[in-house]
Amino acid sequence: MTHYRGKTGMVVAALLATALLLSQCGKNPPGTNCKDGCDLTGIPYAPTAYTIQKPAHFPQIAVPADNPMTLEGVQLGRRLFYDPILSADSTMSCSTCHLPEMSFTDGKAVSKGIDGVAGRRSAMSLLNIAYATNGLFWDGRARTLEDQALKPVEDPIELHHTWPNVVEQLKKHPEYPELFRKAFGISTCCDITKELAAKAIAQFERILISSGTSRFDQYVLGNPDALDDEELDGKLMFFDEGQVVNLPDAQCFHCHGGITLTGNFYFNNGLDSVASLNDFVDKGRGEVSGNPTDNGKFRAPTLRNIELTAPYMHDGRFTTLEAVLEHYNGNGKGVSNEDPFVRQIGFPLGGNVLTYSGLTPYQRKAVVKFLKTLTDTTFINNPDIQNPFR
Amino acid sequence: MKKIALFLVGAALVAFSSCGKDEPPTDNNFTLTFKATYDGVALEKYKNYPYGDRTVQMNKFNTFLSDLILVKKDGGEQRLSDIEWVDFTPDLAPDNKAVEVKFQYSVPAGDYTALKIGYGVRADLNAKKPSDFAPSEPLYLENEYWSGWQSYIFTKVQGLYDLDGVGDPESVLTYHCGSDAVYRTGVFNTDVNVSDKSGALTVEFDLKKLLTVNGTLLDLSNPDNRNTSHSASNIVLGTKVMDNFANATSVK
Repeated sequence: MTHYRGKTGMVVAALLATALLLSQCGKNPPGTNCKDGCDLTGIPYAPTAYTIQKPAHFPQIAVPADNPMTLEGVQLGRRLFYDPILSADSTMSCSTCHLPEMSFTDGKAVSKGIDGVAGRRSAMSLLNIAYATNGLFWDGRARTLEDQALKPVEDPIELHHTWPNVVEQLKKHPEYPELFRKAFGISTCCDITKELAAKAIAQFERILISSGTSRFDQYVLGNPDALDDEELDGKLMFFDEGQVVNLPDAQCFHCHGGITLTGNFYFNNGLDSVASLNDFVDKGRGEVSGNPTDNGKFRAPTLRNIELTAPYMHDGRFTTLEAVLEHYNGNGKGVSNEDPFVRQIGFPLGGNVLTYSGLTPYQRKAVVKFLKTLTDTTFINNPDIQNPFR
Repeated sequence: MKKIALFLVGAALVAFSSCGKDEPPTDNNFTLTFKATYDGVALEKYKNYPYGDRTVQMNKFNTFLSDLILVKKDGGEQRLSDIEWVDFTPDLAPDNKAVEVKFQYSVPAGDYTALKIGYGVRADLNAKKPSDFAPSEPLYLENEYWSGWQSYIFTKVQGLYDLDGVGDPESVLTYHCGSDAVYRTGVFNTDVNVSDKSGALTVEFDLKKLLTVNGTLLDLSNPDNRNTSHSASNIVLGTKVMDNFANATSVK
């Protein structure tokens, strides 16, 4: 009996110790610099499932299992996206280079960071970025939105901050700990991490979806009057559907296909004439893969809202859509890894060596007019994606 | 007390030993591997291959396959998949070697005598659009659908041909084939035993054979043989390629 009592005592002691340990879970471990009073467990954690609004004729959106969409996550991400707290001198945020009114670009050939140093590439539109599952940035160096969101903070020519410092600022912030608690159920402000911040930003970015109300969408959805004759000619050439009315192929859709007008694949679109593949000033995808045959390839961006995202190309070399069409009308530079369709614009001119006519001035104008039917002002004016600090 | 303890230990052992017993023993026990070759050699992008007295490169190759079916010894059928997309040359591949694409299926143990393959997207699935599918499904791929045909692009082969005979290929080859009219099927007799734990077949597509029609290499000096038309009403070259797909296939 005594023996039994002894065992019971040990069990009770063990249970008490376990309970004590459990009660400490999530509280500030000794030695951290989290300040007293950052226990967040008194704040309810009841995340609201968030369904991304997309037009019915758009593809479904993949959401990673380890970052489910919640209203609280999206709201936190939206705030972080627009908050200059992410930059070392608190002057720039993600939104500095990704403005809603420019379909989340910045109107510059190449963007400058907090130190005034110009980057090498133009800010890409974030419209429909949730569909980009084949790598992000122009060169695909990030595989997921969560991965991508981590990079600009520590890029010396972008926000030039450090994540440890950002996280410290977030922990001490009067509002962010509560927002992280509501979004991710953290127990103390010490649980804020860069990964959670990136998850929140990624959730916000996943809601940047077309409204489906552009004139092109209206046409797709069955309104034949949504495009005028010239725009319709442009559409037929864009999608290589014009032979029946004697219009040539503009070959656009091979790289900018589908309803989102990009498959997010990587192409050498014939911008530069180089003697060898190693001579590209910006090697693009090749810089990431280390494969010379990837040099000069860049991710094809969506053409939705293209009217709002000048200048164009990875280095912003073209200021107008007319200049872009002029470039493609040259039928490539003959570089070995050039996409074949860049060389096939217009009617085939016959003969053994096939050359192509390019597009006439009218045809180029028609394609540009069609591209402008992709403008989606409902999207850029969506109140849910605007700067919450205004 | 001891009895209670023994009962608990016994119950735990029973519970533990039952773990996994509800799962079928044949989960993903069969592996189907797809390989791309050129003249029997593993395909590599941007590599020059002999083509008659000239050279070619094959820089993109992907294809949809429908109705992958194993034929049982008794003639019955074991469906592996309604549709798969096989991309031998993905953008994010680490190098230029064509990737081997593997699929795993649950197949009852037994002896099988043939593999059936549908080349392209069978008609009922081809009547749908990418927006009809979940992101995890092959037919979700937007860039593999062309509204001009109201069809998925069944097969894409792209490359270069040394038309001028100087050495390096320079003239583009683009074989994009689609529409219900060019859907083809093939049956490949091969004996394979599938056990509870394993079974495998390898399917090879040879691009030189794909361009060898009736025993003769397509004459690529003829521009009509270098690029499939974008006219939905002119699918002559696309039909030649799809007609020849089974001839370019080996199963072992």
